[in-house]
Amino acid sequence: MTTAPIARPATARSLAGRLRFVLLLLLAVGFYIACLRFSEVSPLRLWEGLPRLAAWAARAWPPDLSEAPILLRRAVETLAMATVGTSFGALLALPLCLLASRNLAPGALLYHPARGLLNILRGIDSFVFALIFVAAVGLGPFAGVLGMALHTAGSIAKLWSETIETVEPGPLDAARMSGAGRVKVILHALLPDVLPALCSTTLYMWEFNLRASTVLGIVGAGGIGQELKNSIDLLLFDRVFAILLVILAMVTAIDLLSAALRRRLA
Amino acid sequence: MKPILTAVSVAKRFGATEALIDGTVTLAAGEFVALLGPSGSGKTTFFRCLTRLIEPDAGQIHLDGRPIQHLKGARLRAARRQIGVVFQQFNLVRRRSALTNVLTGFLPDIPLWRVAGGCYPAAALARAEAALGAVGLAAKAHQRADTLSGGQQQRVAIARALAQESRILLADEPVASLDPETAAQTLELLRELCRIRGLAVLCTLHQPQLAERYADRVIGMHAGRVLQSRRQ
Repeated sequence: MTTAPIARPATARSLAGRLRFVLLLLLAVGFYIACLRFSEVSPLRLWEGLPRLAAWAARAWPPDLSEAPILLRRAVETLAMATVGTSFGALLALPLCLLASRNLAPGALLYHPARGLLNILRGIDSFVFALIFVAAVGLGPFAGVLGMALHTAGSIAKLWSETIETVEPGPLDAARMSGAGRVKVILHALLPDVLPALCSTTLYMWEFNLRASTVLGIVGAGGIGQELKNSIDLLLFDRVFAILLVILAMVTAIDLLSAALRRRLA
Repeated sequence: MKPILTAVSVAKRFGATEALIDGTVTLAAGEFVALLGPSGSGKTTFFRCLTRLIEPDAGQIHLDGRPIQHLKGARLRAARRQIGVVFQQFNLVRRRSALTNVLTGFLPDIPLWRVAGGCYPAAALARAEAALGAVGLAAKAHQRADTLSGGQQQRVAIARALAQESRILLADEPVASLDPETAAQTLELLRELCRIRGLAVLCTLHQPQLAERYADRVIGMHAGRVLQSRRQ
């Protein structure tokens, strides 16, 4: 008969544990201090810059709304860019997510490349894609739409495939047992269950893209961001303020609308 | 009588464990066979091998005398049309109506564009309604599946298998998720369909008294071995 192993003394274990904890803590603190240095954080420079900021803020009041129609037109351009970019992205995501869902992929041969492609698309920001497309198709919202569509395709397809992978396999098995082919099984037994979640994800990406597309103008991809950049370059702070107000109003309105729609889908 | 479905020594390995039916299981038209065994005895694995929802590693499965264990693509789909299935968890699409769920049984007969658009031909709807009528649920046709009771959901699932118009009905623990009274009604229904329509029914169960009461023949299973095969 063997005796039960004697438990190690609790104090010895916790001493080693504590030492390791302190070491990890020191490492983490060291890493953080290094990050502060690399990012050139300097309270002094902020302090020195404060009067300038204050002067600008003073010049920003009252907001210059004299060009409101132009700003609104630009805001609509941004909204259009986000809407079209998101929808194109969703269309691209559709075939991708079917290949990148473990429970639907026809085999590992397509699943892994599809996953890899998603990660590439998702890993490169709309902003970066837009920069490239500006060079290819010229300045304007279309470059923004294309950039956004590529990045969005990766993000939506990833989220969609995660939704699809959590679906119960049972109803799919039942549909397969009727002798139906893959497409019919997906359309009839999978889509009805996941459609609300897929729509909700798409609406969320639409909101996200609207916020993101305000900066796309900075690389020359049109919209309200372009106005923002021009006004900052010309130091027209009252106009900048007006533009920020327009952006805030638009983003808030769309956030509320999208949230309401998503609540109805839940 | 000549068997429609025959399975010989079907085996499936999962890592170190192996599910095995050592022996022959046959099923003929109009007979109700119960496959009886405790949970974990490999009944569900066997069932999923028969339907090729998982691939058996060894053994033979014959449908009408033809082997189906190596079929792929269109031929596998054609073989599956011959086999109606009922699952323990009903496996209905929750957000769709009872009627739409019954349509699943004969999905191959509906054109793809109609499946995509959700506009089903009148003949298909009539076929699904008739199947729902046969299980006594015509009144619930347009109710969403997840609003039905467990017993009703299982009857919708049986209607789905009936609408498929196959000659074989495989039921994997069809009453394990139901209360005793509903379980008895469900088995009664399966028994009756077997008799009236001449269906070949293979039903896995884990309660001996249910198997004794409803089956023509009971096949006992223990640790993957077929223990007995007797006529009642």
